Amino acid sequence: MVAPSLVRLALGALLAHRLRSGLTLLGIVVGFTSVMTIISALEGMMGAIEGRLERLGPATFIVVRIGGFITSYEQWMEMSKRKAFHAETAELIEAGCDLCERVSTAASTGAKVKYGNTAMRDVEIRGATFNYIDIIDAEVAQGRFHSHEDDLSRRRVAFIGDLVRETLFEGLDPLGKSIRIGGAKYTVIGVGEKEGSIMGQSQDNWVIIPFPAYVKEFGFNGKEMYFFVQAESVEQLDDAMDQVRVVLRSDRHVPPDQSDDFSLLTADNLLAALNALTRLFRLGLVGISSISVVVGGIVVMNIMMVSVTERTREIGIRKAVGARQRHILLQFLFEALITTSSGGLVGIVFGYVIARSLVGMIDMEISPSAFAIVVGLSISTGIGIIFGIYPAMKAARLDPIKALSYE
Amino acid sequence: MVLIETHNLWKTYEMGAEKVHALRGASINIEKGEYVAIMGPSGSGKSTLMNLIGCLDTPTQGEYLLNGKKVNQMNDDELANIRNREVGFVFQTFNLLPRATALHNVELPLIYNGSPAGERKEKAELALHKVELGDRMYHKPSELSGGQRQRVALARALVNDPSLILADEPTGNLDSKTSIDIMKLFEQLHRQGNTIIVVTHEESIARSAQRVLSILDGEIASDERASGESAGTN
Repeated sequence: MVAPSLVRLALGALLAHRLRSGLTLLGIVVGFTSVMTIISALEGMMGAIEGRLERLGPATFIVVRIGGFITSYEQWMEMSKRKAFHAETAELIEAGCDLCERVSTAASTGAKVKYGNTAMRDVEIRGATFNYIDIIDAEVAQGRFHSHEDDLSRRRVAFIGDLVRETLFEGLDPLGKSIRIGGAKYTVIGVGEKEGSIMGQSQDNWVIIPFPAYVKEFGFNGKEMYFFVQAESVEQLDDAMDQVRVVLRSDRHVPPDQSDDFSLLTADNLLAALNALTRLFRLGLVGISSISVVVGGIVVMNIMMVSVTERTREIGIRKAVGARQRHILLQFLFEALITTSSGGLVGIVFGYVIARSLVGMIDMEISPSAFAIVVGLSISTGIGIIFGIYPAMKAARLDPIKALSYE
Repeated sequence: MVLIETHNLWKTYEMGAEKVHALRGASINIEKGEYVAIMGPSGSGKSTLMNLIGCLDTPTQGEYLLNGKKVNQMNDDELANIRNREVGFVFQTFNLLPRATALHNVELPLIYNGSPAGERKEKAELALHKVELGDRMYHKPSELSGGQRQRVALARALVNDPSLILADEPTGNLDSKTSIDIMKLFEQLHRQGNTIIVVTHEESIARSAQRVLSILDGEIASDERASGESAGTN
């Protein structure tokens, strides 16, 4: 076998020109670092969002008036004409859906929250009925979530997010303290487990109050209401959704020939919608960063051309002692391949490290995906072949007599 | 036994519209074990003849048999194979790889016929010992004298045990004392049974050969044996 010797020759030639090989390698490393940084960061971002959606639970869905995958303005206009929900919707669902384990009514708005002289603007105020905490996979860090009794007596109690706790009660025990939301006073009864942030957006900037208290505070708005519904089991999710559909269609007098005038969202279909919406954007980012890989490939080709010219005599000598065209071709191709694939490998590692440190600043988990590594390595090998083949062929086809007399 | 047999070799180059005939029907016969000098002034066609004999090039017309194999119809790969196994080149400018050690330079032909690494090293060491460079195996060409470099080239030519050693002005870049040493080495190799063809324009170098082929304007002008008796051009 000649090939292993040719690999060794290629390696030797690269090591003989360390500076040149190093600079070529750098071109490839930079290209792959940028692509891998972007791919890893995007993966991390999508992973974080996915993780967040999974907290909805696999057996849970949300009933909303407007939602899902909106693809056109017309669709949006049509949706915005949909009827509001009425106050008894949750009871209707509970009565008409025997596969539904729990139903929680919810609504939300933004408001200012104050404790003493400290104020926080734009806190998400969520009104939800007591079983919200059992449907959403949220952890109680301290205190408790409000109870059925709290709902019934419309008590003004608040379950606060970690960012709210940290901002208003730094170092203090928040339980039992009185905060002001809008015009009224609420007693803090619990704190949620810290959730961190996605893309610099804190997930802990909220206060949950009993839904009846919310209505008292912000008024009843059937257009903004939504419902968390938990099916008895994951297997029964689809059937439960069908039952809810039947209940709502009859309640809202939807003719049989018309589609639903409400939307049912699951973690799965939300994720699919998100993936579809961001696909083009992600492809674009990867595409733009790939330009640097192509530039790296051109650098390799350029250096290879110089190298072939410079080593014309060497090629002549090799041919004189019996190297075939394909031996010369392979030696130069191996030089290109070693450069691009090792550059690709280093770039993948760098890209991952950079993405990790970037993402670390905004609390995102990121892990090297085997898929990204395999794709990165095959692309770097491909770049080596594409940009190495022409110089290598040029070398292989040199006329031995001319090559030997080349000065 | 005939090693080289050419019939009416022509080599024509197209220089723009003009046709230049570097060889005009050269026919030669060289027996195995002969030591032949090819002489001629520059432009006579002796380099062209050497390139054809060494299978670096193919004739425009005519037939060339090396060891009974028809070379003039071979493709690039087959020619490379012949160069690898049948021909050992020695050049005026040595043509060694400057960054490689003497040992690696000598191993080079063995790399391209797929010899395993151990065997390569063994054969290369043996060849270097033959040219009395056993103690310089790990030196690079820049660390060797001109004479030593030419010995490395000679070892490289010998390493594959070729049918033919083909030397092109082997002493052209050497001083006269070193030249004599190198020519002695050629004579020694000849005595050991190697077939040697030396292309030169120096009378003194040609004199060490048994037979001198003179070439002029692309044709064989004379063919003389060392004893003085003419062998004819047939």
